[in-house]
Amino acid sequence: MSKKEYFILGKDYPRKEDIARVTGKELYPSDISLPGMLTGKILRSPYPHARIKRIDFKRAEAMGAVCISYKDVPDTYFNQRLVSVPKATYKDWQILSDKVRQVGDPYAVVAAETEELASRAARAVEVEWEVLPSYLSPEESLKAEGELIHDRVYLEDREIPIEKNIACTREIVEGDVEKGFKEADVIVENEFVTPRVYHCQLEPRSCVCRPEPDGGITVWPSTQALHNTRILLGQLFDIPLNKVNVVRIPGGGHFGSGIHTNSVIYLTVAIALKAGRPVKIAPSREEDIYDHCRYPTRYTLKLGAKKDGTLVAGEMNALVDIGSHHIQAFAFLGVLAGWWHSLYRLPNMKYRGTAVYTNKAPTCAMQGYGAPQVTFGVETTMSMLAEKLEMDPLKLRLKNYVGLGEIFWGQGPSVRSTIYSDGVEELLTKGAELIGWKSRPDPKSQTGRFRRGIGMARGFHTSGTGAPVPGEVKDYSTAMVKINEDGSVDLLTALMDHGGGTLDAAAKLVAEEIGVPFEKVGISPADTRSTGYDVCTHATRGVYCGGGAAHEVARMAKKILLEYASRILNAPVDALKTMPDFERNEGIIYVDGMPEKRITIAEVAQTAMNNDWGTAIAVKSIRKVHCPPAYTAYFVEVEVDTETGEVKIKKVVAGSDAGVVVNPKMAKGQLHGGFYRGAGMALLEDTDYDLETGKLTNKGLIVDYKMLGSADLPDPEDFITFFADTYEPTGPLGAKGIGEAALNPVPAAVAAAIQNATGVWFTKLPILPEDILNAMKERENG
Amino acid sequence: MMIPVELKINGKDYSLNVKPNELLLNVLRERLNLLGAKYGCGIGECGACTVLLNGKAVLSCLILAASVSGQEITTIEGISENNKLHPLQEAFIEEGAIQCGFCTPGMVMTAKALLDENPEPGYDEIKEAIRGNLCRCTGYVNIVKAIKSGSKKLKERRKE
Repeated sequence: MSKKEYFILGKDYPRKEDIARVTGKELYPSDISLPGMLTGKILRSPYPHARIKRIDFKRAEAMGAVCISYKDVPDTYFNQRLVSVPKATYKDWQILSDKVRQVGDPYAVVAAETEELASRAARAVEVEWEVLPSYLSPEESLKAEGELIHDRVYLEDREIPIEKNIACTREIVEGDVEKGFKEADVIVENEFVTPRVYHCQLEPRSCVCRPEPDGGITVWPSTQALHNTRILLGQLFDIPLNKVNVVRIPGGGHFGSGIHTNSVIYLTVAIALKAGRPVKIAPSREEDIYDHCRYPTRYTLKLGAKKDGTLVAGEMNALVDIGSHHIQAFAFLGVLAGWWHSLYRLPNMKYRGTAVYTNKAPTCAMQGYGAPQVTFGVETTMSMLAEKLEMDPLKLRLKNYVGLGEIFWGQGPSVRSTIYSDGVEELLTKGAELIGWKSRPDPKSQTGRFRRGIGMARGFHTSGTGAPVPGEVKDYSTAMVKINEDGSVDLLTALMDHGGGTLDAAAKLVAEEIGVPFEKVGISPADTRSTGYDVCTHATRGVYCGGGAAHEVARMAKKILLEYASRILNAPVDALKTMPDFERNEGIIYVDGMPEKRITIAEVAQTAMNNDWGTAIAVKSIRKVHCPPAYTAYFVEVEVDTETGEVKIKKVVAGSDAGVVVNPKMAKGQLHGGFYRGAGMALLEDTDYDLETGKLTNKGLIVDYKMLGSADLPDPEDFITFFADTYEPTGPLGAKGIGEAALNPVPAAVAAAIQNATGVWFTKLPILPEDILNAMKERENG
Repeated sequence: MMIPVELKINGKDYSLNVKPNELLLNVLRERLNLLGAKYGCGIGECGACTVLLNGKAVLSCLILAASVSGQEITTIEGISENNKLHPLQEAFIEEGAIQCGFCTPGMVMTAKALLDENPEPGYDEIKEAIRGNLCRCTGYVNIVKAIKSGSKKLKERRKE
């Protein structure tokens, strides 16, 4: 399919939210205040593993506070994340429990008239603890002899046995791996370790809840999934869904930390219901850092190739420290295998993943959902294989990558779809040119204190989790489009915008399809009462699936509009076309080949209204039956100070295959941001626990959670971005995703650049200055 | 115990009685409904609460309201004139420097303080000035570009 010229897609407009955000008028959950609202405080465990022997609210209640513990809330077991289908959902959460499983675990909530009073009341709560033996590493956890972290876990509604703190395991085998390795001429095997990164979204996850007089609730939460939040709250508090209204409100960053319904949301609801008054809970940063983080991984990876570079076999064994709870570790183990399988063709593969509970913060999705972790190991191994085979690393990749016409696992082994667009060769060729790949230094001949290195890695992310046959994950979106009586258009969808321009993209697809200027499409405020189900804005599905639904529904509304126009213009519907008239800021309908026979969309809508024909309006739920890979490639140049071990990023070339690019400026921004967070994962970020106390060594303070800063990124001119010239035939007007793909290869690319400068392949992230100094010393000593 | 304070905020005079431990950030947000300055960490590490105190960028989460009586405060709500955006605000929009937007008010205020003191900063000076403002979305690239282009816009507007 060829690309066509678009009126609106590919052009930059100010985002619809921009003016509110740049003037301080945008409201986030922590900004919401309601008449009569109380302030809530969550009480959090000082111990990594303990049981409440006695809890006494008398003093707190005497101060006028409303208080709840496990005794005051339903004892239902659930999973915070409702993206997976029920049969793949492990449930080990309760609203509050008599047992705490990590430092920072909520055990009670108080609410009072002011924040100060709530804090005083929280301090007046008396608790007597029975401290239990804790497990702060997966290795220790697997040897558990004392009380396990969980004694009751349900898979769907069936209680399952838990042994040695193992949350779940997965084995995936394709072909015959032993036979495969026998055919290999070269084999590379290593252990890779990736860190427990904290999302550090700028707004600590917050929530406001107002109990309604009819027994319902209205909720303003930090979330990426309005409807899943509503469904879970309805289940937990036994409120019919038509009385649970969850309102869309922007969050101050998510990065995956809001795919699940965070505890702050249902705890706010629980205390508001008890108080019978609106309550806001806006936790501190130190609380938030104990609430969510990226899945850390430790895995061995073995890849075998023939002399000509053809991969023949692979084996991976992964151990994942999931922390105190399941937020779908089962799905995570599946995607680890899936991302690996979809990077390079492997006729024979064997995968085993084990997820283990520990007494640490619960792990959840963070940009890439396992892909940055796996891509780090796979891409490093591919470069090592290329060295051994004395082959150009780009050539080895081009020979083996999973591309056009092949099968792609978009969300673990149960979500499989065919690839119809593939810009990988363009990304690698153009990226290599832009960075000066051919003239990159030879690590063996580097001398001097400052050494430059150029490295690369490629990767992808899925665009949503749709597939021909539904798998373990739910995936559909609902949209409503109506053409107003003045020719403007309203788009209503439960899609969320995390800052990347997703809602603008959906509005652009609608504008392009109907044939009106972008300003003519309004994005309606959304809540769960007024919108149909949308699974979640995650998995890089915003533009492809959510935008796809909006586009399809726009086409349906346009069909009605054209039928009305055909009555007026006295021409068949098939002969009618639409286009935006930018000068007059309206949409027009004309007869193809007779441009003078035309009418404005506003005139058609008004005529339809005045003649009682009706409104051109459509609504539908749409499931995508594909999930195209959005490919990316990063080429990075660094300078390593061999005396201090410090790494400076000098230049970045980021290439993306996003199909037709809907919002170019925002898409480039995704590449900048993805690089920044990926490079932080490569060079700095980790949450480290004190193995005695179970507390974070940074005490939850971000002073000691180091992230890259403004001065660590290259100048704008040295950060080059480009897009492959592709068209995704299954996507809305040729588009697919970008978001998570913007990060996935980055840690691997940074590590490769460091190798090019130092001669050392690092297999553990983050690569700290001391690691570089130690490794270089070791290398010198032979 | 309450302490009387006089504050000039965005050109308007306020007389308030505050508690000795009341932070400027809380006074702005909770009493005056100026919600642009955000809470991101409460310990002066993220810059989301940045406002101008007598023209200098300060962290309102670390300042006791009682300690700044009689002084002049500017918040993000006070830099547009007659509904016309400040050149920096225009530049942030044009350069795609806003994503989730939670850091934006603090970032713009820090940038304004920089340009008021140094009208034509280079990239290194810009990066240095916003070191204390955390942005988790953008990777800073477009923010640095926006401040640079804002400096040019401001110069042109001053000529007008």
